[in-house]
Amino acid sequence: MATKPLISDELANFLHSGLAIMAATRDGALQPDGAWAWAARVHEDRAHLTVYFNAKDAPGLLRNLEAHPEIALACDLPSSHRACQVKGRFTASRRARPAERAEIERQAKAFVVDLERIGIPQAMTDGWKCWPSVAIELRVTQLFEQTPGPGTGEPMR
Amino acid sequence: MIRLESLAACFQGLIPAWLCTCARDGTPNAAILSHVDYVDARHIALSFQFFNKSKRNIDENPQAMVRILHPDTLQSYALRLRFVRTETEGPLFESMRLRIEAIASYSGLKGIFKLLGADVYEVLSVTPIVHEVGLPRAAVAKAQAAGDARVPFTMKALQEFSEQIQQATTLDCLLEAILETLEKIFGFRQAMILLPGESPERLEMIASRGYPEGGVGSEVGFGEGIIGMVAEARKPIRIAGMLRQMLYANAVAQRARERGLCPEDRRIPLPGLANPESQLGIPLLVHDELVGVLCIESDEPYRLHEEDRAYLEVLGGYLAIAIQNTLLRERADEAEEPLPARHRPPAAAAPPPVRRARIEVAHYRTDECILVDGEYLVRGLPAKLLWKLLREHETEAQVEFTNRRLRLDKSLALPAFKDNLESRLILLRRRLEERCPEIRIVPAGRGRFRLELNTAVTLAERP
Repeated sequence: MATKPLISDELANFLHSGLAIMAATRDGALQPDGAWAWAARVHEDRAHLTVYFNAKDAPGLLRNLEAHPEIALACDLPSSHRACQVKGRFTASRRARPAERAEIERQAKAFVVDLERIGIPQAMTDGWKCWPSVAIELRVTQLFEQTPGPGTGEPMR
Repeated sequence: MIRLESLAACFQGLIPAWLCTCARDGTPNAAILSHVDYVDARHIALSFQFFNKSKRNIDENPQAMVRILHPDTLQSYALRLRFVRTETEGPLFESMRLRIEAIASYSGLKGIFKLLGADVYEVLSVTPIVHEVGLPRAAVAKAQAAGDARVPFTMKALQEFSEQIQQATTLDCLLEAILETLEKIFGFRQAMILLPGESPERLEMIASRGYPEGGVGSEVGFGEGIIGMVAEARKPIRIAGMLRQMLYANAVAQRARERGLCPEDRRIPLPGLANPESQLGIPLLVHDELVGVLCIESDEPYRLHEEDRAYLEVLGGYLAIAIQNTLLRERADEAEEPLPARHRPPAAAAPPPVRRARIEVAHYRTDECILVDGEYLVRGLPAKLLWKLLREHETEAQVEFTNRRLRLDKSLALPAFKDNLESRLILLRRRLEERCPEIRIVPAGRGRFRLELNTAVTLAERP
């Protein structure tokens, strides 16, 4: 019997739609850290993700992740605040490939367009750079509802 | 370390922030925050509204990191934090609670979207994320210079404001002077003043400036929106980025409705801009008595600063005393004799061109309201007053009236103490200007006025 994929098609589409993504990691003293991610790609197995960060964030991220692989991604669509939390474990990192650049920039652009809907003009975001990027691979372990309000923090069904 | 004060704009709720925490078992968590509050040079506060994962993590491990964005440049900063305490009362808690509940009441979420505690954190370090600046570098200095250039509350401006207010001899003139000087001297283009209405715990808008629809007579209950919250708490409230905070509150409302925790639509229509970005509500207090509420709005985010709140809170006390003194003086001077020339108001403007050759004014006794040609005009005491004036005009050709005579008229059943007659007359006069310019109430000196009809009026008494 086929098992239900961890990430549904609908959720995958949401994760690919161009979101505000904050990745939380931690060090050995349980001090949390965070970094913006510019794009995400759900793997075909629906159980793994690749998340793309500005390459300048890589040293801090990898310092934490290589010793402590736990990672959390809060993914939020600013205009509606629909949001979810992806918990996972770091599996690998690499430089983002040139073939991935168009998709990273598409998602970053979609995010900026969504910000325009809530009154943040594109002129304010022109300085943000998503390339060169570093790709962080992770295995998804849990998914949580994170749209603010009652029920936030409940496991996603 | 970068001084927290220099990041004041980041603490206005204009751009959401992010909170990263970590559970004792090593699982990190990230969550969006609608607002980070500045407490002092070494502390910030986060609202605790739901028992969520972040809160549980902080209970287990007090370390946290917040990422904030500067609203003028979208420069990102990382604040390393250590949880210190949760406050459930006191000035910090109250200021956060009032802002959150004002937003909640706009979204129909009062009682659901509420502050449980103000979580205070010590800021251990502030690090700019140098490669995360949204505004291109060339524009950053310009944006910062524009922010620094704003200095509205100079001594000269305050003196001018005071002079204008002191010249007003009637409540009507005083309210106009307040709104006019707020715009001309301080640049606040949209403002309104609400005074207590006839019903307890309700305010009525008596004067406004800068709105396409005047809205005179609009009512606000205590606890409704920023004005109602200011009236209820008797404390000023400033909201700097309404749109984004409303988006957050609306997301909560949607979830609450899906779970049957709040009815479909509890939003209350309130006077003011349809979509304000900044709001500042100031209680007008004399000792503990609420004389009214001044509300200033703008469609620009972060138009109203903490400095504005502080200055206007002080001015609010002054305005409240001015309003109360003007009312007392008006009543004391309610003589039947003509006033000295220097106290006479300027000649009224020429009446507007007649729009209708004949109007029907209908008085509905049961509902105590007046309709003109089938359109609602006014209710309550202003309706009783207008009906009385029109009836006396019709039966006795009376055109000149005094407040004193109205106050003594038993048919109006005014309360013996604090009858609000002056504010009711202002409300009536302004409603007529907005909805029925064919009937005018023209001030004719302190405590007296004329009724002017610029069309044929048919009176109809209905049950």
